[in-house]
Amino acid sequence: MANTRPLVAQWSRLGNSSIAACKADIPRPALVSYQTVRHASGKPASKDKDKKKRKTRNTFRQYDLKHAMQFSLIDAMHYIRAFEVGQNPASAKYEMHIRLSTLKNGPVIRNRLRLPHPVKTDFRICVIAPPDSKAAADARAAGAALVGEDDIFEQVKNGVVDFERCICHTDSLQKLNKAGLGRFLGPKGLMPSAKTGTVVKDVGNAVKNMVGGSEYRERMGVIRMAVGQLGFTPDEMQRNITSFMDTLKKDIAQLSDRITKDIHEVVLSSTHGPGLTLNGEFKSANSIPPKELAGPL
Amino acid sequence: MVALIKRMRNLRELLWVRIGPGALLLPKEVTKLGLEFSKNKVGGHMGPRKFWREMLPRIKFHNPTIPVEIRRHNTPTGPALLHIYTSTSSDPTPAASDISVSDTTASTPPSSTPNPRDTQVPTTATPAHTVDIKSADELDILAQLVSRTGATEIKATPEEAAEMAEIKEFNVRREKDRVEVREKLAKERREEELLRLARGEVSAAA
Repeated sequence: MANTRPLVAQWSRLGNSSIAACKADIPRPALVSYQTVRHASGKPASKDKDKKKRKTRNTFRQYDLKHAMQFSLIDAMHYIRAFEVGQNPASAKYEMHIRLSTLKNGPVIRNRLRLPHPVKTDFRICVIAPPDSKAAADARAAGAALVGEDDIFEQVKNGVVDFERCICHTDSLQKLNKAGLGRFLGPKGLMPSAKTGTVVKDVGNAVKNMVGGSEYRERMGVIRMAVGQLGFTPDEMQRNITSFMDTLKKDIAQLSDRITKDIHEVVLSSTHGPGLTLNGEFKSANSIPPKELAGPL
Repeated sequence: MVALIKRMRNLRELLWVRIGPGALLLPKEVTKLGLEFSKNKVGGHMGPRKFWREMLPRIKFHNPTIPVEIRRHNTPTGPALLHIYTSTSSDPTPAASDISVSDTTASTPPSSTPNPRDTQVPTTATPAHTVDIKSADELDILAQLVSRTGATEIKATPEEAAEMAEIKEFNVRREKDRVEVREKLAKERREEELLRLARGEVSAAA
């Protein structure tokens, strides 16, 4: 009769409530029979057991886009430009957020590309190479802001990280690893590694490619990247977005067969504007002509 | 990423940028709007700022071709002005803005470095109207703009009005719910606290 216990407890709890008055009217034996019927139907007895059975989810939660408002590129830009009115067009940017349907613990997508119309070209690039080598001279010529080895290590250890990209020459990698900068550069995503393509032989070329390049990586199932300045025309934006999506699709295709990643949702947003889900079209039936969005803000 | 439902709820508020005060169609002669006020609200600069935040998005949405320039200075005693440039005002410079824009688009390569198309060159033309908007509230400024330009207001369609009313009602309800939930949580927390205190006293006594 262990089964009766929770039920009796339930009823006694009921007794405390407002319907306590009718407690006396309820015949007790009836209760027991009712409970046996309930158990025969195979319902789980207690809530705790329920909780244990629930599995932790291993993919990021996806929402059904059926009810989502979706916009064509021109409509989205129309709204965003209205929200960004009066802002400095050089400082406010269009951003792209791409939601992937993916595992929580799988490999993440991480790459770099050169957009047809670069968003930002004034990166400060740090190159780790012996200061008096030919590679260092190349890097300087290509526009690196900081070139060196020990000086940079010392600087970074003191907490001064005034660069946005970091490249390491293959020969200097050992020295870099010994210096133990991972604690400082790692969280910023600046630590050079062969996997991200930031440990290279031809430093000069890498710097050249990096100027005007943009980087993206997947975090929590979402890839975010700046895709344009606010002054860009719809055509320029379209070219940037298509080239970005193409690279991304290639990245996804390069993953091993066991891992599946799909693009779930594409959102266009801006520094001060709302996030608008794109439907993949350039313009809709009642959107304004693209020329009207080409002028200054 | 913010949950979809939340985002969609926020997107419904896109409606505010389509209808309401400031949803107007400026006549063709107007080529540019300029606003000048202080970064600090002290000294009667709150109205201009609210005009920028609330009315200008609507104006820009319905008149996407008209550039809007905002200059903000740091002196509270400084001017707060609304400039309206029209093609008939003085020399052809503002009128040429459309042409010059397309010119620069063709000549300057699209690049990330700020070019004249992206960053506006300060127009040398004198504005047709300059209105002092110091200490004026945003609706006054809007009325000034309408009276100077003869802009036509865009009326909300019945559907839009109905949706707006719905959103309003939802927000009222939401506020009520929020208060209720807050009270409930506060009560629970208070009870827990009392329990904890009671237990603490027991353990201290023991």
